[in-house]
Amino acid sequence: MCLGIPMQVVAIDQYVARCAAKGVERDVSLFMLMNDEVKVGDFVMVHVGYAIQIMTEADARSTWELLDQVLAAEPLPNA
Amino acid sequence: MSSTTTAQEWLERLRHLPLEQPLRLMNVCGGHERSITQAGIRSLLPDMVELIPGPGCPVCVCPEEAIYAAIQYALHHPVTLVAFGDMLRVPVNVPKGEVRSLEEAKAQGGDVRPIASPTEAVAIAAAQPERRVVFLAAGFETTTAPIAAMLAQGAPENLLVLSAARLTWPAVAMLLQSDTPGFEALIAPGHVATVMGPEEWSFVVERHGLAAAIAGFSPESLLAATWSVVRQSVEQRPFLDNCYGELVRPGGNRRGKALLDEVFEVVDAPWRGIGIIPASGYALRGDYRRHDVLNQLPDYAAEQRRRAGEMPPGCDCAKVVLGKIYPIACRLYGEACTPRTPVGPCMVSDEGACRIWWSAGHRQHST
Repeated sequence: MCLGIPMQVVAIDQYVARCAAKGVERDVSLFMLMNDEVKVGDFVMVHVGYAIQIMTEADARSTWELLDQVLAAEPLPNA
Repeated sequence: MSSTTTAQEWLERLRHLPLEQPLRLMNVCGGHERSITQAGIRSLLPDMVELIPGPGCPVCVCPEEAIYAAIQYALHHPVTLVAFGDMLRVPVNVPKGEVRSLEEAKAQGGDVRPIASPTEAVAIAAAQPERRVVFLAAGFETTTAPIAAMLAQGAPENLLVLSAARLTWPAVAMLLQSDTPGFEALIAPGHVATVMGPEEWSFVVERHGLAAAIAGFSPESLLAATWSVVRQSVEQRPFLDNCYGELVRPGGNRRGKALLDEVFEVVDAPWRGIGIIPASGYALRGDYRRHDVLNQLPDYAAEQRRRAGEMPPGCDCAKVVLGKIYPIACRLYGEACTPRTPVGPCMVSDEGACRIWWSAGHRQHST
């Protein structure tokens, strides 16, 4: 539950941001970042559907690479 | 240190530190353990440096009583039971033939649904206002702050919470206050510190004089933290280093912490197989107690049962969680207990050390 996924903000409607990561889009709550100015185009670390911090694009991309490796290494539960 | 330092360079620097006696490092995050194990970091470290997985899996320490209660709600009440997916396969201690997991309760007709976000719990509750939705909420601070946000934002009144949420640092404090902590330096969890701030780990340095560093999830960040605590130990100048500056900022996520304080109070709380750890659990506070499942449904968690609160018979998960043994030292590892037929929660959860080691190909049972 703690790994978190970086996503890029595509659109914002009040507390909900449409966010994208590697071709997948989903709604993300910005309720934990109301003190911060989140803008369209920003990258955020998403944890269980909530953005927990703003991050740089470079850090988002390096985390995506890491996630690719983690997912590639994970065999199916019945393997 | 430069953030462009490669893993290879960190290993080289580690080898050059004049460490004269063995040093045991503990990491307390399932995400860390996954990166460490999959990158094979342990086998690359100098012989004197040991890296031990500690309490980093909220599913593993979720009270057995809470899961038992969730199963009873799903079986005996007209409710929808929602929980993070990992929770569904965790077994409880019941006589043979009785329903022993939420997955089995679902197979028996219980309305049990896995969710990936508190926002899904809200959506399910909003879609069926006449029906109670019980959210078995297990997790550490990174998950509990979003749950606080969910309630503070205004959740439907039919959404009830069964809180099994826990704080990370009190388990480390408990180990350090014991006669045998089992480690001399700490790799602190990156996303917990992102939310709560790095400061809450200062006690490791100030009260116990141990080296500590907060790490991110890449091999580079984990090795930077490893190098930092080894160097601190060699120089006998411990301080709290932050090797995850990308996300961990002084004070943490202040809004997230304020939400936690508004919705929850910190209470003494049981950890499965371990017992009560002081000030380690989150319970609903004040007016938010109207969302407490116990306001509307029976307290099954308090039922007197054989082996209530314990790990399953023969299972060494509690020792694994506390870093007393490695997963492969458990008698059941890879024998009776595999991801396909898990006995203990550490083999069920993606953040459990046993599951992580098994996924990385560790098949050798060793005592």
